[in-house]
Amino acid sequence: MQPALSIREVGEAVSRARTGAAEYCTNFFPSPQKLQGWISHGELFCDERAGVAFFLRKDRGFWHLYFCAADPATLQRALTTLPILGTDPIVLDLVGKEAELARLIALFEAAGWHIYNRLFRMARTVTAAAAAAPGTPDSRVVVADRAEVPAILDLLLRSFDCRAEQIPMLYEVEAAAAAGQIWVARYAGGLAGLLFFETQGFSSLLRYWLVAPELRTQRLGSALMRRYLAEQPAVRRFLLWVAASNPEAIVKYEHFDFAREGLVDYVFANDRIRP
Amino acid sequence: MNALADILKSIRPEFDFTTSNDFLADGMLDSFDMIALVAALDKTYGISIEGVEVVPDHFRNLSTIAALLKKYGVAAA
Repeated sequence: MQPALSIREVGEAVSRARTGAAEYCTNFFPSPQKLQGWISHGELFCDERAGVAFFLRKDRGFWHLYFCAADPATLQRALTTLPILGTDPIVLDLVGKEAELARLIALFEAAGWHIYNRLFRMARTVTAAAAAAPGTPDSRVVVADRAEVPAILDLLLRSFDCRAEQIPMLYEVEAAAAAGQIWVARYAGGLAGLLFFETQGFSSLLRYWLVAPELRTQRLGSALMRRYLAEQPAVRRFLLWVAASNPEAIVKYEHFDFAREGLVDYVFANDRIRP
Repeated sequence: MNALADILKSIRPEFDFTTSNDFLADGMLDSFDMIALVAALDKTYGISIEGVEVVPDHFRNLSTIAALLKKYGVAAA
């Protein structure tokens, strides 16, 4: 296993796995910005074996596994030769339409992995005419200050499962705060909730939306969401991933006109992580 | 170009890909969509786009995608 040193090197490893691929399969979809961040921070490692390019990304005490393989049978063979699977806690995400994932799900289950969680993608599509009107801003909701970044990260880590929900690293939270992509709700002088998003042109990915449990009667969650939607007048498509194990959140998103799409993320874990 | 626009539309039906000059900057395609697009192009045209070619510059608009396909001997109609 070698550290990945450049985007070019990663692309070449992917190319070798794709050469002559009959049924190319992968779960490796990083944006160039994310990939560069992982490489720059020494988080990404590459392991090419038996015709498969494996990538391992270091997280908080566990790894994310990505693969690029010519076909499922090649992947299945190569998986049995990856030593780290027997020693370290590892998760992997299989993303796609439910029916298209069936073969890979069966493959990983047969290889001894278990389904750790499932996430659904939800979308909210708006027309220019229906874009949210600005309205009167709630003064409790403001753009996050960079000084709040440690508290924001602490709240994310306390509120979400980092194995299933891709909690950002400190440098990513710092970059998001600097870009004005985190709104926070303040209550009684403290951080009570947040909404963390990534907007690119006509699309916006809502990454995290939460309010501290003891303050959930203060309508801070609604204030955050309304402010977010109103401040993105150019966005035509809002997206998010939500854990299937969190039906209360799904109901709240539906309240704001998000609806389930066909995409599912099966989060698998190896036997070093308990179900 | 119509065939290409149709393939893109099948991935992201809510956008009109003929009106944008930069699908990525405009948020019409993300990295997951790019992989779906590569798979669709491979299947439609019977090619295998190299991993090193799967970079944003090749997927910015209809012209850049057509130029990429041309490298594989495909004239996108």
